[in-house]
Amino acid sequence: MTTITILGDEVATATVEWADGRPLIDPDALSAAVGWTLKPEGLCRGDQCVLVGDGSAIRVGDKLDLAAVANAVDQPTVIDPDASVVVLGQPNATRQAALRDRQAPDFTLTDLDGTVRSLSDYAGKKRLLVAFSSW
Amino acid sequence: MHNELVDDGFMVIAVAIDEAVDEVRVLADGITYPVLMDPNHLLTETYAISNVPAVVWIDEQGRIARPNANEFGSDMFSEFTGRTCQGHFDQIRAWVHDGVVPDDADSEIADLDEDEIAARLHFRLAAHLRRAGNEEGAARHFDAAAELAPLDFTVVRAAMPLRGESPFGEEFFKLLEEYQAAGSPFHGITPA
Repeated sequence: MTTITILGDEVATATVEWADGRPLIDPDALSAAVGWTLKPEGLCRGDQCVLVGDGSAIRVGDKLDLAAVANAVDQPTVIDPDASVVVLGQPNATRQAALRDRQAPDFTLTDLDGTVRSLSDYAGKKRLLVAFSSW
Repeated sequence: MHNELVDDGFMVIAVAIDEAVDEVRVLADGITYPVLMDPNHLLTETYAISNVPAVVWIDEQGRIARPNANEFGSDMFSEFTGRTCQGHFDQIRAWVHDGVVPDDADSEIADLDEDEIAARLHFRLAAHLRRAGNEEGAARHFDAAAELAPLDFTVVRAAMPLRGESPFGEEFFKLLEEYQAAGSPFHGITPA
């Protein structure tokens, strides 16, 4: 058993077993690790559930394969067993909603004073989103 | 632009695809609109942003009125880009006052491919390991990211200051040359 860091919407830690470079997690710990909970109806987050059939695609013994869970909910991953870190990317559907359906993905970031702000805080205005950098 | 139109239901939201908060603070000096830090490059994943500056017009309902476009906020780089910002400013005025969007607002933006997505995750991992003091691990993932998306400025150029290279030096000009040779593959509108 080792402790890994999960870089998702939040930075989380979880205890896993490694099997062939894949992290296996206790089902009860899944929600705190990745935000999704395994329920009889599938993998659920908020009011959204993704069907996983009999679960055989994500189960390894009494554990869940984190990479397979991410795959089931269409979130890309990069796994580094040496550094004990898993990166859990944004759902592909979020970006596709922006590109195809023109739905602006909401985001929450901190400003220069450390205040947390979201795009949706400014709903009702026409907004010019400017991505820039110092590099 | 923000100050001119702020009473007309318009605002600018600036997001720095960057972790150098002190340097961003210098750039943001005197600015009255929100300036947010995105050290993990979240927007490059969700909006398919591959270079800066990139602007997205978002309407009152949260719909994208004009997708990613490579528009500048000043004429600082005009000599370099051959463009001025005045045309874009006039388009914004027409949008805010009359609801008119330019013809290119219908442009389709190509989705990121699997390699470009993986490159973003490797970048985030590298930046995390670097902050944690694991230089070797960081270098490994910056390299992996650059291999997967060699012409993506948010992947390759953004890594330069984090790897002790100058983002305005030899490495940058090499990247720029390769980018231009490949037809400047920007995920979005590149106005003439």
